[in-house]
Amino acid sequence: MPALMMDEVRKVYGSGEQAVVALDGVSLEVGDDELLALVGPSGSGKTTLLSIAGGLLRPTDGAVQVGPHRIESYGPRELTRFRRTAVGFVFQGVNLVPFLTARENLLVAAEIAGVERRRARARAEQLLGELGLAGKEDRLPARLSGGERQRVAIGRALMNEPALVLFDEPTSSLDSRLGAQVMELIRAEVKGRGTAAVVVTHDLPMTRYADRVVEIHDGRLVT
Amino acid sequence: MSIALTEIRRSPLRFGLLTAAVGLLLALVLFLATVGGALLSRITGALERQSAPVLVFAVEARRNVQASLIAPGVAERVAAVPGVAAVAPWVTRGFTLRTGAGLRDGTLIGYEPGGPGAPTDIVEGRLPRMNGEAVLSALDAEAGFEVGSTVRVLPGGSPLEIVGLAEGASFAVQPTLFTPYEGFTAIARRAFPDAGPVLPSVLAVAPAPGEDPVALARRITEAVPGVEALDRQTAVASVPGTDAIRSSLGLLLGLAFVVVVVVIGFFFLIFAVQKADVFTLLLAMGTPARSLVGGLALQVVLVVGVGSLLATGLLAALATTGDRAFPISVDPGLALGTGATAVALSLLAALGAVRRIVRIDPAAAVRGGGGELA
Repeated sequence: MPALMMDEVRKVYGSGEQAVVALDGVSLEVGDDELLALVGPSGSGKTTLLSIAGGLLRPTDGAVQVGPHRIESYGPRELTRFRRTAVGFVFQGVNLVPFLTARENLLVAAEIAGVERRRARARAEQLLGELGLAGKEDRLPARLSGGERQRVAIGRALMNEPALVLFDEPTSSLDSRLGAQVMELIRAEVKGRGTAAVVVTHDLPMTRYADRVVEIHDGRLVT
Repeated sequence: MSIALTEIRRSPLRFGLLTAAVGLLLALVLFLATVGGALLSRITGALERQSAPVLVFAVEARRNVQASLIAPGVAERVAAVPGVAAVAPWVTRGFTLRTGAGLRDGTLIGYEPGGPGAPTDIVEGRLPRMNGEAVLSALDAEAGFEVGSTVRVLPGGSPLEIVGLAEGASFAVQPTLFTPYEGFTAIARRAFPDAGPVLPSVLAVAPAPGEDPVALARRITEAVPGVEALDRQTAVASVPGTDAIRSSLGLLLGLAFVVVVVVIGFFFLIFAVQKADVFTLLLAMGTPARSLVGGLALQVVLVVGVGSLLATGLLAALATTGDRAFPISVDPGLALGTGATAVALSLLAALGAVRRIVRIDPAAAVRGGGGELA
């Protein structure tokens, strides 16, 4: 079973003459430990695709399956539950809770999912170590560098061991050296855990870390 | 919930300042309520803390003790009403008192020893046993005007020995002396020899065992022409001027509560706006909106709860340095009631912030905080 399967997905915002087609019959599969890069110009539908795969938006038409979840028919409550257990997010703009330390930012994902506290702490320590954040667990985001903050966000996305992790421009605020480090880290984590990942990026050099690159234009995939 | 608590821990200045502001406002509420209660007690205490559950007024006095005069023969007719166990005269008049501390305005009350109408809360000494003895309202005791001292009632100069102190027994915000009725009439005649006979202001009535004072008062009013009988609580509430004081105090207290509620409501609304990104992130991660609302409610309860404790502490500190005339004391029931009301109203005030949270679209997390979808 693929980690993500989208079949003829359409997303239309508004209606009548105001209608905007953001996705127009998108079909896509992402394998179990596949790292897929999604590229395309602004307004091409990348973010909408990511939002639908992550259960943040519902498609207008088509089927979306993430692991065992057929989410196109999920209601708001089911989508909320789906987001806290089945997917991990690394957002571009809004990323960490500013008043929580690095460790607490990871623990909050486990708390939301109802993971037992001791188990969650052990998992957070392990992830922070693997992400090179040992010794910085108790720092607030304001006292971390951009790369460190991004690593904490990656750790939080992986905290509940989701089948699919979605990255929205994970290197956009980093210089090319840090960006490459972060992409290497994402690849290592995804491959090491057998997790599927979709990375939306404008930064074409970063696509070399992906198993496959998919381009999107005007709401349609271009292979 | 733990996020809400962690946030408070990590933002001590922000939450500390808000808690302090709420504490000060609630301290003001408690202070006003306490001083208001003390003022009312200084006006009506002598009626409130006397032993007669029913008081009979002349109807034309319109429930004003100082304007009421009971005509001869009325006491016998009241005594004949079924359910009346005892009737005694109760009279009050203002005099000047010469005390060891100088001249004071004072209220003299005459009551029948052994009958209804005696002061109830003797905190020092005893009740008078003979004419020329009196019990003083405890708050007014001072050097030269205390148990064992003798005051002179002017005009006339009749002596009165203070033999006891009665808690909360003031009348008309003046030092108040309870003395036997017969002694009172002698003092009044000596002070104003050309005045007519001394008539009771009201009649103090003791109901028969098991008799409801309210029902008995109604029965007396119906049975005896020219009088209006009131149970003690109604008589106290009807003292002239107290209504206006209660209304003014109610207005001030209401205003203070409104300020508390507006401060809390605006704070958490601004807070929700400032934290929109964090709420969006948490919602996108799968946090149910009700958990975020619960966290906000917890913060409101903690801020107002700790503010209430702070207010009570401030009042307790004030109580140690309070004015003797209007002593401030911490009433746990009042503090608890004020705190609970403030919490309930503040939760209502936080509804604006709640509305903002539940309207957040988690998809905005991907739009970078409100941009158009790509």
